[in-house]
Amino acid sequence: MQKSVFRKTIEIIIFTVFIFFLFAPLLSLVIWSVALRWYWPHTLPQEIGFDYWLQALGITKSLTLGAVNVVPAFLLSLGIAIIVVIITMAIAIPAGYSLAKLKIPALLKGIILILFLLPRAFPQLPVFLNLMLMFNKIGLTGTVFGVILVHLVVGLVFAVWITASTFSSIPPELEEAARSVGATRLKAFFKVTLPISTPGLVASAVFVFLTSMDEFTGTFFVGLPFVTTLPMTLYTASGSNIQFASVIAILLLIPSILFMIVIQKFLKAEHLGGMGG
Amino acid sequence: MGNNLKNELAVGKSEIGVGVERPRSYTNILPYMLVFPAVMVILLLYLYPFLASFWKSFINKEGVLSLANYEKTLRLYRYDVLFTLGVTTLSTFIATVLSIFVAVYLRLSKGWLSNSIGILYRLPIFLPFVVIAQMMRSFLAPHGTLNLFLAKLNLVNIENPLQLFNWAGLTFGFVWKQAPFMILIICGGFQMIDDSYIEAARSVGAKLPQIITKILIPMNKPTILIAVTLVFCSLVGCFSFPYMLIGGKSPVTITVDIAHRVNYFGDYGVANALGVFSYIMVSLLALYYVRSMMKKGLYD
Repeated sequence: MQKSVFRKTIEIIIFTVFIFFLFAPLLSLVIWSVALRWYWPHTLPQEIGFDYWLQALGITKSLTLGAVNVVPAFLLSLGIAIIVVIITMAIAIPAGYSLAKLKIPALLKGIILILFLLPRAFPQLPVFLNLMLMFNKIGLTGTVFGVILVHLVVGLVFAVWITASTFSSIPPELEEAARSVGATRLKAFFKVTLPISTPGLVASAVFVFLTSMDEFTGTFFVGLPFVTTLPMTLYTASGSNIQFASVIAILLLIPSILFMIVIQKFLKAEHLGGMGG
Repeated sequence: MGNNLKNELAVGKSEIGVGVERPRSYTNILPYMLVFPAVMVILLLYLYPFLASFWKSFINKEGVLSLANYEKTLRLYRYDVLFTLGVTTLSTFIATVLSIFVAVYLRLSKGWLSNSIGILYRLPIFLPFVVIAQMMRSFLAPHGTLNLFLAKLNLVNIENPLQLFNWAGLTFGFVWKQAPFMILIICGGFQMIDDSYIEAARSVGAKLPQIITKILIPMNKPTILIAVTLVFCSLVGCFSFPYMLIGGKSPVTITVDIAHRVNYFGDYGVANALGVFSYIMVSLLALYYVRSMMKKGLYD
């Protein structure tokens, strides 16, 4: 009995430390986003309010607050992310289907798979740097289209893996059955394979959406200073204005948490490591 | 693998069966047509610049093939290369140990405490590093929330707060973000181990440390190694967090040096040589990762 009380106490202490380290950084962000005056070493801000929030959301326009409207940056990020999802999925679904279901010689397939593994294993920053040099030559640096291409590469690597493993989890007998009663390959795909794989494909699309919304390194090299997505705005604000930066950080983490809670059970654990590098 | 072959054969057979609908040549090139766009994107926008970083690292300022960039990199950034390796290794090590402990706890313990930890720990996985960077800037700052809290507990002298905008803060942020991801992967592996193994070990008198070191860890070695690899490789390449936390200081990570080299000096040769150093740093683990993923294939 004594021992079990002792164990429970230890468990609760560890739990408390765990909760503190998990949530304190997050809480710090939330408090800073509403802190109007906070002098060291006061435990809490002396004055709180939503001034920075209102300013960032474009509801008020004060010149003294040191915060700007981030709605345009948010809409830019959103627009880029949507286009990236459409292009990426249009490319990844056929590729994933082909790799999972169709006959490709083993050697070639191996080479293709390695090609899609390299970006996950090796640091991407030097690649973006040279992509920037490439884009400099053809005038894509600092353009939205250039940024879309960078996000496409980042998202495609995951999308192909996720769609391929989704398709390969579907028993080939289903499609064969449809074809044995006269459906064409195309019809069998749209009537049988696609509906069954919808959860996996949606998860993949959401994943691509979030990698684009959160993408930092590629946009930093290819997009700045002309294409300011939400993460770039956060970076710019970070050094100068802690309240404003906290507001943007919270705006950025809301979609990540919302979406991932919904789709995480459709994704393999390994893929989640690609979030927000 | 045998099964896949069978599937492929089956698909091949049915192709012949319905081959009357479409000319054979169409079905023959269909697989290639479908992967072609994806492969082209990766070749042009990934592989070409990837290879270019090797090539350009050997081109000096006059456009001549030389080792000058490497000489300069070693002279100026020797310490930063070691710093990157050190911080990444330390972070990966701490995250691994921590995540194994938490995963063991979640595997063996039942009750509302472990259930709630089992859900809550996932939170950092979904947050991008750029958000974590801002979070840690306010949390770990000399006058930040952590120092404030520790000062309240009298653990820190308020006049002399902890300085964490260095390797320590970097390690803290890396572990905060990546340990949960490792827990997720390792937990998945631990769930596969049947309770009967653990009960059998207990019945012959095995204590907790033995269960961990003799059953849980050995039976999950591949899973743990994959987790270690993914974390180590992602941390070597991480840019936003070190850049925002310690960007203006020294020592910094390789990725920050590359950005500085490009932004302040336009020196792509040395920047690429630094990039090659970061490739070399992950190369062993990256090769292990590629090899084990190829073995597993898409069909696991």
